[in-house]
Amino acid sequence: MSDLEDQKPAEQSPEPSRRFVLALGAAAASTVVTIRPALAQTAGSVLNCQIPVPAPQAAGSYIDPDGHIVAPGTPGAFPPAPRPLTGEEVKVMLRGGPSPAGIDSQSAQAYANYIRRLQAGMSGFTCYASLQMPR
Amino acid sequence: MAGPRFTADPPDMMRTVELDGLTALFHLPSGTTHILAPPAPQILAALADGPATAPTILARIRRAFDVEGPRRSGGQRRSGALAVLETRIAELEAAGLVSRL
Repeated sequence: MSDLEDQKPAEQSPEPSRRFVLALGAAAASTVVTIRPALAQTAGSVLNCQIPVPAPQAAGSYIDPDGHIVAPGTPGAFPPAPRPLTGEEVKVMLRGGPSPAGIDSQSAQAYANYIRRLQAGMSGFTCYASLQMPR
Repeated sequence: MAGPRFTADPPDMMRTVELDGLTALFHLPSGTTHILAPPAPQILAALADGPATAPTILARIRRAFDVEGPRRSGGQRRSGALAVLETRIAELEAAGLVSRL
């Protein structure tokens, strides 16, 4: 979508049949409340939790550059991480910081993409979710 | 001056339930649940059309809504609305639902 939209006056936009009024609210009022599960109560537990790459049930599988689990030996994909990554390492990695010790930058990028794809129920998800919590 | 461009995860990464004017939103990538009041859900809906600057987000919202923002001195209503919208975007950013490109 182009930012050329900025140039168009609102009057030229297609008019829906019904118009609703949307109040933007006062600048001081908050419109987002985050419910934090009691996953990790202390900074220490977040930074020390571990994320296996890949999850144990996929042990031995390779990780492609987009973070998908692929068959061992797939060209262009990377071998599993030699050890589970800690929350601290993942936090640094996801922010574009240096790769964890013993892991080259390309593998680290693939692992970071794998971790971003983690969903509830997958090994390491709770650790990843804890890292995402706004503080 | 274009300003920062904002983006949000695609709608299929979120599950929402309308709750009498509020919206409960479960964000799959982070596993967190948020309660949103307007205009936060509308900002996310506007970003479903693709990354955008704050003025573009406002333009998209204006397609469907008459936007009520605070007036600034001299009746500069649009810039007042934009300023408040930027505050709302910052809240979504702090919650991890919106990020900058």
